[in-house]
Amino acid sequence: MAILKLHGGKQATCTRRVATVLHELQVPFELIEVDVANGAHKSPEYLKIQPFGQIPYIDDDGFLLYETRAICRYIAAKYPEYGLIPTEPKANALFEQAASVELTNFDPSASKAGLQLWIRKMGYPFPTDDKIIADNLETLEKKLDAYEAILSKQRYLAGETITLADIFHLPYGVFVTYAGSESDSVMNRASRPNVARWYKQLISRPSWLAYLDGVTTTTAY
Amino acid sequence: MVLKLHGFALSTCTRRVATVLHEYKIPFELVPVDPSKGEHKAAAYLEKQPFGQVPYIEDDGLTLFESRAICRYIVDKYRAPAGVSPLVPKDTKGKALFEQAASIEYSNFDPYASGAVREKVFKPMRGLPTDQSAYDFCVSTLSAKLDGYEAILGKQKYLAGDEITLADLFHIPYASMLAAAGCDLMTTKGPNVTRWFNELTARASWVAVKDGAKSFSSY
Repeated sequence: MAILKLHGGKQATCTRRVATVLHELQVPFELIEVDVANGAHKSPEYLKIQPFGQIPYIDDDGFLLYETRAICRYIAAKYPEYGLIPTEPKANALFEQAASVELTNFDPSASKAGLQLWIRKMGYPFPTDDKIIADNLETLEKKLDAYEAILSKQRYLAGETITLADIFHLPYGVFVTYAGSESDSVMNRASRPNVARWYKQLISRPSWLAYLDGVTTTTAY
Repeated sequence: MVLKLHGFALSTCTRRVATVLHEYKIPFELVPVDPSKGEHKAAAYLEKQPFGQVPYIEDDGLTLFESRAICRYIVDKYRAPAGVSPLVPKDTKGKALFEQAASIEYSNFDPYASGAVREKVFKPMRGLPTDQSAYDFCVSTLSAKLDGYEAILGKQKYLAGDEITLADLFHIPYASMLAAAGCDLMTTKGPNVTRWFNELTARASWVAVKDGAKSFSSY
């Protein structure tokens, strides 16, 4: 069986999300870098595989899949013993609720602010906008008040154990902290101790720490 | 005890759930929440839905919010009626392709379709000014994204393959409101998107709820 191929970018945000989950599940993979700087992701050949011209996609022994959360779900479903997607019906429903919360209540503002803050931190030559960052961080602060309520009753978003729903908050959950400091950022405020506790748990995971300098081919764990 | 859907008749997300309840012929009671009175931000409501959003359900002792999660729960718990194919495939690859399509809806369609509808339909309803440049951005981005849809739907009937899934149904509430928002892309982008959109909006489950979700006890 061929090694799983992750077509993306070493530093690319969504590629990192997939790599984190592959690492959680101890799945060997090869990173194949897509030459985004030269528009490789918009070529007719690429668009046949990923019609929206986005990275990443995976090639799992000939099975092609794109959309990072779909990729992560597909891999997690192969290894149910890790519990990243609960299978018991009620636990599964609460997982889906948490996964949807990430999509609708976190990602819109966190990815808009986070992408810009990441661009600035990496020194990439793309324009950024103080107002977009500020407005989206303000929205995120309010959303995280609701997270505080949830996380004051349970350890993780779907219940007492970590699931993909929590992990999907990476990497943007880290990038939005670039607007603050280690001791005080939107994810780590004294006023939201449970969010801070949960956030610190996420960023301590080996799967996140493994690719702090970028995603690399990983053949052994 | 019948499933309770807490929402309001014309809410996009309430109708998203009601469509799937109709697809699977599940009786339900619509328990009205009146956002104009701020009922969705009251303390008692926030206990059930901490983000103060509509809808949520109560079914068999379970409280659940997020319309797409509710739809997935319905499909997981209840059997599809005879002659209706399951709205979420169970085989590994079929499920993966469904998840890809569900993610496409959320990342490549919803922000732009809902943004356009918010600017030209919801904001005027609330007496708020339309941000024309935000609207223009949503429509031009949606147009580019629908090029991707046109390519996919030229090869297969629905977004995840040749069978309809939840991923297709998730699009309907906002897709159906784009015309009212002055955007005709669903019927002008290309023949494949047009065919798919027309099929979706002709489904009996959508027709039953499009003008307002309501309690339904027998199918």
